[in-house]
Amino acid sequence: MDESKRNFIKGGLASLFVASTSANAFSLKNPGRDKKDSRYIGDKTKHYAMVIDLRQCIGCQSCTSACMVENNVPQNQNRTSVTEMELGEFPDVRKAFLPQLCNHCDDPACVPVCPTGATFKREDGIVVVDSEICWGCGYCANACPYDKRFMNKETKVMDKCTFCAHRVDEGLLPACVETCVGGARIFGDLNDKTSEVSKLLSNYPTTVLKSEQGTKPQVFYIGLDGRMEEVLNATANLDDIMRKEIGIKEHEWATMKGEE
Amino acid sequence: MDTLITTLSAITPDRIWGIDIPNYFWFTGSSAAAFIISSFAHVFGMEKYKPIAGFSLLMALVLLIAAPLNLIDDLSQPGRLANFFLYGWENFPTSPMKWGVLLLMAYPILIFFEALVLYRPYFVKKMNFNKGIKRKIYSLLSLGRTQLNSEETAKDHRYGFILGSIGIPLALCVHGYTGYILGAVHGNYLWSTPLMPILFLASAMVSGTGLLIILIPIFQKFFTTQRRVDKSIIAELAKLLAWFIVIDLTIRALWLSFAIPFGNEPKNYLLEFFTMHFNITVYIEYILCLIIPMIIGFSKLRHNLPLVFITGIVVAMGVWLFRWSTVIGGQTIPRSMPGFLEYSPHMIGQGSITAIIANWLFFIALVCLVTSLFPWDEEMEEHYNEKGLNHE
Ligand code: SF4
Ligand code: SF4
Ligand code: SF4
Repeated sequence: MDESKRNFIKGGLASLFVASTSANAFSLKNPGRDKKDSRYIGDKTKHYAMVIDLRQCIGCQSCTSACMVENNVPQNQNRTSVTEMELGEFPDVRKAFLPQLCNHCDDPACVPVCPTGATFKREDGIVVVDSEICWGCGYCANACPYDKRFMNKETKVMDKCTFCAHRVDEGLLPACVETCVGGARIFGDLNDKTSEVSKLLSNYPTTVLKSEQGTKPQVFYIGLDGRMEEVLNATANLDDIMRKEIGIKEHEWATMKGEE
Repeated sequence: MDTLITTLSAITPDRIWGIDIPNYFWFTGSSAAAFIISSFAHVFGMEKYKPIAGFSLLMALVLLIAAPLNLIDDLSQPGRLANFFLYGWENFPTSPMKWGVLLLMAYPILIFFEALVLYRPYFVKKMNFNKGIKRKIYSLLSLGRTQLNSEETAKDHRYGFILGSIGIPLALCVHGYTGYILGAVHGNYLWSTPLMPILFLASAMVSGTGLLIILIPIFQKFFTTQRRVDKSIIAELAKLLAWFIVIDLTIRALWLSFAIPFGNEPKNYLLEFFTMHFNITVYIEYILCLIIPMIIGFSKLRHNLPLVFITGIVVAMGVWLFRWSTVIGGQTIPRSMPGFLEYSPHMIGQGSITAIIANWLFFIALVCLVTSLFPWDEEMEEHYNEKGLNHE
């Protein structure tokens, strides 16, 4: 019997026992929110958002690395990443970068589908996952139109960017923002009209990814080239093709080969 | 001409549902269909389905007991099963998965009781023949109603009718909700259509009928006293199958025509998707697994038992393939990263090919167990004797 099966039986019996002995365990939400634990509620007066100024991004990937270190993200999994592309055809080409992370959507697709209430939106707009409650059904990952959730291979629960809620609650900036070399990532409170994000949003035209999905993303881009969203017209991921070339073991899900 | 976009570096997205899920959808779907076929006799009083009504009901039960194991296997934290019941009720209106588990529990209980009511006369007879512990078991199975007079039989009919009538919408929901699960995902271009629940139901009727066409001849031939296959009922099922295929094809045509020629933004993705899978979709899923069986069902060929038996296998596999190409195929469509994805299930462990085979073996074991407990063969024999069909 493998470990997960063993845990399954043990866990199942134990929780049935707990459930039948304590009526309090039956919760509409989840224990953290029922207890009004501030980590689950956030700061009601605030509404956090991020602006990514693509004119400033140099594709250095220090945000990617800072996130991995700060949040203990397993190898080859990412909460945030920066896609690197070339737009156009020689000689008329331009390099483009697209930093991506969970959009902390105002009307998130991932939240309403979660059958355990493990995924929810805090009152300050940050969308988080309760890793104690998530049973790993993956419904939210399929519901997110941005592919910004993943099953953490170490914790075996859903994982994604939290805007570094643990730092924000302490008055710090998210790790990727703190470290951004180009000053391309700007984070702040939209309720505060004097915050830098509010000013940027009122002074510059901004776009969000896939607005047609109706999720109202709270990560706004300045200078987003619409072509970058046309992933259908893009070549397959060179990383994957390379991985195949040098004979690294294939993933269960891999980019289809030969689709140039 | 579109601008060429060359992706130098990106992250291959992590998709989540593997081989367990199409298998699960196949099982619940076939169960719903088997239940509805049994209701033709129990609720709508269609005489010709009487001999197989009980057997179909048992198949519905067994399929639905085996189905959820696929889901548990797909969870990355199966030990937290209880969390489902304890938390997250605020999402009840918006999470089809939340409805689903409740349906998954209510439905087999209902089928089980319906089967008990249906077979009560046989249990009572058995009880009277046996002594000791066996007698106790049969008396338990007859739920303490041990009289065999016409009054009690009328009661049986009434209870059977009531349970069957509640069961029909429940069966439709049990499978329809799986279509909801996919249809509700607006980020997935292949899934996102209100037609999904009804599309799933239609193809479920096809696979469920197919499965009965496979199992009934086997069981009639080898496990009944008359040891002969009732060809007329198989031909009847083949014709029913053909009608179900007509419905299935109609809904698929609506789905694809709205999605591709008349669709907006996603249509390019879907066009690309279907171009890539053209051969399998058209020649195998549609022509081999639907259109040819439909022709067989509507023509005289339906009286050819071996051919119909093979047709049953083909349609059942075709629907499995459809479940696969919808669930897995939908996830291969790019969302945030370039390139379609490709999925190859692993051999052992959770969510693997072995797990699916184990699920099928479990299903077969359950079929053996349930068919040896319930006197479906006596029921069949009685019907055939009454009708004098034993010597056709
Ligand atoms: S980006 Fe995806 S994971 Fe993040 S809040 Fe929006 S829907 Fe949820
Ligand atoms: S994987 Fe976890 S967070 Fe996502 S829907 Fe399932 S229970 Fe909710
Ligand atoms: S750290 Fe800043 S500049 Fe560097 S890749 Fe990330 S967003 Fe771009």
